[in-house]
Amino acid sequence: MNGRIVVEQPGNSVVTDLGRFRGPRFGLPVNGALDQFSARAANILAGNEDNAPLLEVTALDFRMRADQDFLIAVTGAPLTLTVGGREQPQWEPVSVRAGEAVAIRGIHTGLRAYLAIHGSVDAPLLMGSCAPDTVIGFGLKLGEGTVLGIQRSVAPLRQPYFDIPLFRLGLERPVMGSELVVDVTDGPDVAEFGDSADLLFASGYTVSGRSNHIGLRLGGELPERLSNAEVLSRGVPVGAVEVPNREELLVLHRGRGVTAGYPVLAVATSLGLHVLAQARPGDVVRFRKTTVAEATLAYRASMRQLESLRTTVNTVFKLLGVGDEPGWRELPPALAI
Amino acid sequence: MSTNATPAVEIHESGDSAVRVVAVSADPERNWDTVHRLAGWLDTCDAEGLHGAVPTYDSVLVEFDPAVVSAKQLRAYVLLGLRQLGLRQLDLAGSSARGPLEFEVPVAYGGDFGPDLEKVAEQQGITVAEVIALHSAKSYTIRCMGAPAGSPMMDGPDFPLPVPRLKDPRLSVPAGAIAVAGRQAVIAPAVAPGGWCVIGQTPLTVLDLGRDPLVPYRPGDTLRFRPISHEEFNDYVGSHLEALNPADLHPEVAL
Repeated sequence: MNGRIVVEQPGNSVVTDLGRFRGPRFGLPVNGALDQFSARAANILAGNEDNAPLLEVTALDFRMRADQDFLIAVTGAPLTLTVGGREQPQWEPVSVRAGEAVAIRGIHTGLRAYLAIHGSVDAPLLMGSCAPDTVIGFGLKLGEGTVLGIQRSVAPLRQPYFDIPLFRLGLERPVMGSELVVDVTDGPDVAEFGDSADLLFASGYTVSGRSNHIGLRLGGELPERLSNAEVLSRGVPVGAVEVPNREELLVLHRGRGVTAGYPVLAVATSLGLHVLAQARPGDVVRFRKTTVAEATLAYRASMRQLESLRTTVNTVFKLLGVGDEPGWRELPPALAI
Repeated sequence: MSTNATPAVEIHESGDSAVRVVAVSADPERNWDTVHRLAGWLDTCDAEGLHGAVPTYDSVLVEFDPAVVSAKQLRAYVLLGLRQLGLRQLDLAGSSARGPLEFEVPVAYGGDFGPDLEKVAEQQGITVAEVIALHSAKSYTIRCMGAPAGSPMMDGPDFPLPVPRLKDPRLSVPAGAIAVAGRQAVIAPAVAPGGWCVIGQTPLTVLDLGRDPLVPYRPGDTLRFRPISHEEFNDYVGSHLEALNPADLHPEVAL
């Protein structure tokens, strides 16, 4: 029953999940999929728990092959997905036959794609999460020839009369583009920037090539702190917008060091962080001010979208006999502490 | 140490998934105590949607899942915790699984091990020997776990002046680097970029991914630096940082 996936062209890909939520208490960043909406959607479309290990493919082309039939879903940035040479849709479950190559090519307009496999893949865990931590050197970065264990096989699902896509689940896809709008709320230290804090909303910022999973560096008009007093190290939230120097704005993402001594000007919302996860070097980001209450409502609305997708997928898979016993592997709940 | 007053705090919004709680009494020691106790309480309270708490000096960042709990609800929850801490400080002894541990850290100062040692001496207007003597003179309390990778953040040493950060942060500082900045001291458990002045290096392994917890110390434990010669460095390589005293599993006074 256990199968193997062989990575033939790794590009820049890792196995990850939603993050190491217990980590920050111990000085480890949460990490995990940067575009959490796309990652959850991929897992749901593949019939997995939201937090199941999946592949995050950043920017570069990727190809793999399995020794048995399986089921995948690819979400995230727009790209060309082919299975056995045939183009297949993103944001839908896709059947793969044993021996067929799964290729992701030409990621564009965004930066990161998510590839979930029904039944998930085996990955080492640290504090309950497989999310890579580049600082301490943990995680499964995929190389040419890396073998991934898969737990479940799924017989090919095909529309019986024509070989056309079987699913049209119709999830609303996140908007991507080279001009991005990121919602932020006032940071706990916004007063330290005086009137210059409003500069954040006055013009766009250009994403620097030095951006990564730790943080995005943005060039543009910088708000300025009124004093130079040393700040005691404090826990900083993912999404914190800081002005560490006179050259760039820094927006911390999920790989951020847990504590820092810079004042927090603003904080990107959870949905804003999904947008930033797809920002490419050279893209222009505009910040838009919102409130914590509105951000929470917006986030919950997007989670409801995923819940309704889950209901649909579960219904369809049940009708098709996918995901039933045997071989159903229980995974920890997505948000376990 | 016991008082019946609910500790004085400010709660600041920090996005849709976190709040920052700052203890605002006039006594820094009490503030540190408050935020670490609050973090301990939050850690063990099993609140749904609560990811965890990151306490440092006078503040604690409380992270949560906004799909499950709102910032407003979290705030009420923190206030409940503080009230319980104010009223039942001694009962909370049970929430701390062990008493404070003591550690001794051998350090090779200067040379390639501590490239900024001379610069720090010059900036402080004291000799290199005095920098080493001051750094290894006191027992430090670990105040919090910092970045990267659970670095033990400590107050001191008792230098005449705060130590400025490097103008050009290093892209890579080795594991075991012993660094100072401002009025703080730290050990780097893992290789990472760093803007602090590196004055030495310990040969001991601090972070071990095969162990749980990954680092042997936690806030409230104490730590002392012991100078060793550059020749002795290799004798320690491969050894782990271990506590001098066994963990007291039933402390009379909890952190």
